[in-house]
Amino acid sequence: MARSLRAHLLRLLLPPIAALLAVGAVVAYYPSIEPATEAYDQALFDIGIALGAHVRVGDLEGKQGYAFELPSAVEQVLRTDRYDTIYYRILSPAGFHIAGETELPVHEGASGPYDAVFKGQRVHVVSVRSPCGPATCLVLVAETSVKRSRLMREILLSSLLPQMLLAAATLVIVWFGVKRGLGPLESLSEEIKERSPRDLRPIDAAAAPEETRPLLVALNGLLEQVAEASRNQQRFLANAAHQLRTPLAGLQAHTELALSQPASDAVRAQLEQVRQATIRTARLANQLLALARAEPGARRDPARVNLKSVVEAEADAWVHQALARDVDLGFELEGAPVEGDAFLLREALANLVHNAIEYSSRGGRVTVRTGARNGHAFAEVEDDGPGIPPAERARVLERFYRVPGTSGTGSGLGLAIVREIASGHGAGIELGEGAGARGCRVAITFPRG
Amino acid sequence: MRLLIVEDDAPLASGLRRILEAEGHAVDVTSRGEDAVSAASSERFDLVILDIGLPQMDGFEVLRRFRAASSGRGAPMQVLVLTARDAVDDRVRGLDLGADDYMVKPFAMPELTARVRALLRRSQAHGGPRIVHGPLALDTVARRAFLRNEPLELAAREWAVLEVLLAKVEKIVSKEAIIQAVAGWGDDLSPNAIEVYVSRLRAKLEPAGIRIRTVRGFGYMLEEFKG
Repeated sequence: MARSLRAHLLRLLLPPIAALLAVGAVVAYYPSIEPATEAYDQALFDIGIALGAHVRVGDLEGKQGYAFELPSAVEQVLRTDRYDTIYYRILSPAGFHIAGETELPVHEGASGPYDAVFKGQRVHVVSVRSPCGPATCLVLVAETSVKRSRLMREILLSSLLPQMLLAAATLVIVWFGVKRGLGPLESLSEEIKERSPRDLRPIDAAAAPEETRPLLVALNGLLEQVAEASRNQQRFLANAAHQLRTPLAGLQAHTELALSQPASDAVRAQLEQVRQATIRTARLANQLLALARAEPGARRDPARVNLKSVVEAEADAWVHQALARDVDLGFELEGAPVEGDAFLLREALANLVHNAIEYSSRGGRVTVRTGARNGHAFAEVEDDGPGIPPAERARVLERFYRVPGTSGTGSGLGLAIVREIASGHGAGIELGEGAGARGCRVAITFPRG
Repeated sequence: MRLLIVEDDAPLASGLRRILEAEGHAVDVTSRGEDAVSAASSERFDLVILDIGLPQMDGFEVLRRFRAASSGRGAPMQVLVLTARDAVDDRVRGLDLGADDYMVKPFAMPELTARVRALLRRSQAHGGPRIVHGPLALDTVARRAFLRNEPLELAAREWAVLEVLLAKVEKIVSKEAIIQAVAGWGDDLSPNAIEVYVSRLRAKLEPAGIRIRTVRGFGYMLEEFKG
């Protein structure tokens, strides 16, 4: 299942960011709420002092008596508050009610302002000790909390909004940052994508981001295993080639030696059969090895190869094969540089030349060409033999398929090898007729270099 | 001629020995590279047939020691390398180390004997003042040619082309290779000019049974003289 690293990262980041947001809000809220409420408290305190100043003390039958008259200036102040209602209560030093709201609760021992419920409303109460003769009266000033709540809301909002914007910005940065941060990973995957399947060199971990190293180390481990398997296969093929060819060479030597000695015609005929079988077996062994070599796992690193040079290096051997069958083998060679495996390319061309010579009649003509057409390097072999009927052309490229009724001793592997090698080089094969609509022409055309 | 076969596969070694003895050579066989090195240091062989895939000391190492020990006196020992491996690099490496020719197993015996003859001929020609090819003899010191013991007139360039072909009897030689070998003469030579020299050589040599085959689009091959 494909999981988005970005979504995963956001899911991981969201709860801590929300928690930080909450903490941030609290941290910003309290320091700013205190001075604001202190100002309100101070106003209430001022009212309390003003009220306390208007308590009059008189002597009544040896007892202290108190009178209070609300000064109009103070009343004005109490009435002018647009949002909140302000209540007051004045108590004598003995705790008797002098004036104001009798129900306003007194919190004995409260040192500072306190909250209380009055007339079903939350009120904030400030107590002021005001001198009343020799003693002090208690003035309570209470205010409903409309202004305060509003202030708190505003402060909360003004501190939360930037926090939320910050959080949103963080998430956006994470979203795009992850994409950017994963950039090196993307270029890494591009590099892997563009690699040739034959390129089993380890990926350079030094240039890759630190975090991807474990992945690269694992990947390089796998590449190394594949490369090792490929090396094993190549070693096996080299050994198999040696183990097969040496006894075949011995068999061929002794058969030809026996043929060179006096013997009856019947024995000679049988020896000749053995010799032919040996040659066929040797050729088959070569072809099977070539086919195995062309398998992707056994391929080697491509190198710059000029098909012209490949042909020139083999020309002598091929000319002698052709002369043995009285075939005129000729060349039309122009430079044809390709990327590939020289051994396999030689094998492909050798198979084409061998087929052409094999299926030519005595005195036939075979021509090997290399060069470039429209920027594509090519190699082709043309003969003037019987050719391949159009209906058979697709099938002759299959392994072990032989055109019905053909003579010769082929295994039907030659063209399959050519096809295998060509496709391994990204090259195409074209089967057609030779010049003058006679014979056969097989061309291998390589991708633009 | 004295030949040494270095091959660890006994049936193949014995087959090769009998075929080469039938050709009239004196043949020794060893299956170990070390023995081959010591044999070649104490005795003189005209040609060694050397298998690359030997146990312990492999053919490349044997070849390297042969070449390191070669005194430079007399005709050099020819080395024909045999291999069952098919890597192109092996051939290049073998030739780089000083192999004179190279054959991949398995091979047809007539081809082997032809190559052996060519190498021995080369070894004789090398250093010697006289190159012989059937009825043709070249005195390289006096720069005089004889056909059936009669003096043969050869122009300087005909002589040069013939020398190149004689160095590689039964091997195809490209026109470029001929031009390069003859180019010491200073001026440019076109492939057409080579054709002219070859046709003149043919006119002079073919009556004596010496044939120069044309390899279409490639070059020429001086065929082995078959009498």
